[in-house]
Amino acid sequence: MNPKHEIVPISDREKKLNDWLKKPGGRLGHITSIDGKQLITLVLDTETGSSFCWETPIEHSTYPSLTHTVPQSHWYERTVWDMFNLTPTGHPRLKPNLLHESYAPDLVPLAHVEVNSLTAERRQYKPMEVTGEGIYEIPVGPIHAGIIEPGHFRFSCMGEVIFNLEIRLGYVHRGVERQMCSVPWRHQRFIAEAAASDSAAANAYANAIAIESLCEEATTARAEYLRSISLEVERLSMHISDLGGLAGDIGFLAISATMSRLRGSALRIGELLTGSRFQRGFICPGGVVSDPASNLMQIQKMTKQLQIELKPVLQFFFNNQVANDRMEGIGRVSPRLAIDFGLVGVAGRASNIDYDVRRHFARGVYRQDEIAIAIETAGDVMARARVRAREIETSLYLIVELIDRLPEGTVRVPLPEKLKSNQIGLGIVEAHRGELLHLIFTDNDGGVKRYAIKDPSVNNWTGLAISARNNLVTDFPLCNKSFGLSYSGHDL
Amino acid sequence: MLKLFGYLLKQGVATSGDYCAPLAEGVIGLPKFTDEVCAGTSCGACQTECPTQAINVTESDGKPDVTLDLGSCIGCAVCVRTCPTGTIANDNRTKVASDTRLDLIVSSTSKRTTSSNTTPQGIFERSIAARVVSTGCSACDLEIGACNNAIFDMERFGIHIVASPRFADVLLVTGPVPKAMHSALKSCYEAMAEPRIVIAVGTCAISGGVHKNGYTEANGVDKILPVDAYIPGCPPHPWSIIDGIRNVMKRK
Repeated sequence: MNPKHEIVPISDREKKLNDWLKKPGGRLGHITSIDGKQLITLVLDTETGSSFCWETPIEHSTYPSLTHTVPQSHWYERTVWDMFNLTPTGHPRLKPNLLHESYAPDLVPLAHVEVNSLTAERRQYKPMEVTGEGIYEIPVGPIHAGIIEPGHFRFSCMGEVIFNLEIRLGYVHRGVERQMCSVPWRHQRFIAEAAASDSAAANAYANAIAIESLCEEATTARAEYLRSISLEVERLSMHISDLGGLAGDIGFLAISATMSRLRGSALRIGELLTGSRFQRGFICPGGVVSDPASNLMQIQKMTKQLQIELKPVLQFFFNNQVANDRMEGIGRVSPRLAIDFGLVGVAGRASNIDYDVRRHFARGVYRQDEIAIAIETAGDVMARARVRAREIETSLYLIVELIDRLPEGTVRVPLPEKLKSNQIGLGIVEAHRGELLHLIFTDNDGGVKRYAIKDPSVNNWTGLAISARNNLVTDFPLCNKSFGLSYSGHDL
Repeated sequence: MLKLFGYLLKQGVATSGDYCAPLAEGVIGLPKFTDEVCAGTSCGACQTECPTQAINVTESDGKPDVTLDLGSCIGCAVCVRTCPTGTIANDNRTKVASDTRLDLIVSSTSKRTTSSNTTPQGIFERSIAARVVSTGCSACDLEIGACNNAIFDMERFGIHIVASPRFADVLLVTGPVPKAMHSALKSCYEAMAEPRIVIAVGTCAISGGVHKNGYTEANGVDKILPVDAYIPGCPPHPWSIIDGIRNVMKRK
């Protein structure tokens, strides 16, 4: 399922993308570049499960920004500016996304073109200032009070109400994408897993699909099943953890403590399947590294046990009046804005976007009819919590079901040393946060010249900023937990 | 509410009483050396396959010697699977923390000796307050979070997580500390009252792991701050983290 390559001249790009997004099933996957000489626009068709890679040659390192007509491109354009020095002219709020003041001004990590002398001004970051009587700012981070990754939030408030939230990321930018190109492809999966370890299985899976497509090889049916089980176990444990966190922020400690205990069972299931609590080092291009055949019975038993144990806890949580009061109508993202900003995963489905990679880009293992996609329309904290709870049920069901149907056979096929030259490989996976993309471009010798990762959080961070508006400062932790976003997956 | 209490009572005690229990069978830990003799530089499979260049195979006087840097190891078990002679095997221990960086570099010919200069009466022996600064992929953070759950329950050992460096005795740093976090981490450290301790939690924090030697200078905590203890693993098991903190608590 490699994306079809197409040259789109810069004059047509805006109209073509707008038309694409208007048609049913049209989605924007990613905007990036290969080496700074062109823009790559990856578009997806969720109705047919196909993808197109539009290449737009760029001269003089500038191009017209699409943010005014395609709002979701604002974030991508900032990243492309940082990493390739391609300037989107007319971008309403152009400022660095990944590279901070501490980096040398002439550092353009992914561009292979000569850059003109760049000044330190380019790295300057000014948060949007809200002015007016009684407006004050609350700066938070980069180091947070809890045990989470770093990021800076700036709230502009009027009394207790948040007027505007600006999110500044990039603190954990580790140079993953460039590192990916500097190692042999068989070592890429370890870096992919470390891009965001709470989505280790999803990242390794996306890497495997992309590499396999570049080798034009398919793995065995058994391996495909085991990978899907691994992905579901990851979803299960992270959804449990996120719901527990939500309960914790409400102050419902009995639920949060129970959830963190039950997450231990989900991690144990992952450990039985892969030998690692975070399922690291299991999924590889060509299949999986080991066959957990002797543990499958126990995995199934534990999953059924977890199903029984979770049910009353979720009931206690959702039937509690205080919890309901804290979650209902809070942090709302309207379906219109969710579409405009391309929200994915739980956040998208809670705002009435019917999109799940497992169904729309089905890879055989997932039968179309069995993925009960949880859709809510309210778009508030409650809706996101309900979607998560229902996805926990689906994942539990799928783990048991997939083990029942698991085909016999080997779990790994050998792949050639060299990838196909001058090709585009795409790996697309529904991680627990939503649509995760790995996009690989190979050069004349079959080497990887560009490795792009689009974490679901890239789409959803804007969603969080929208959800916080006109809510109380004290409700922000709930909005934040209901999205459950990744800093490292975004920063790379 | 009464029903909820009823449910909780029925669940019984979840807390594990087996301190630093070894990993269950089939679970991947860090690698260790066995007594089997290595095939030498003519093989070198582990060295080529290791994704973080943690292994070095040499020969002195015709005798093969393998060194393994546990501070660079991401526990992928590729070396264990590729080694034809069985020189490298999976280590199921969870007590892996070490006081010095050099202690983490082990050799197949001279076995690792843990040289912990711990004394029974450390100043933080009964209680220690920890501040966590994350600069990485969140796996280590989730495992530190897991130390706080009902199963591992690290508060029973006197370890509690605090929300400000002002209250903290020990700084737990996870992740490779990329450039954008250098100054934030330094100011966090400077805000702590003395005596203060820094622990590098996880392979990234120790050496940069898979991210080392990149343009973001993400090469570990000890390039920025003095580090007092190292907890290897990618991510370390919750027991390893608790044990690593307990080790510094015993220190004078």
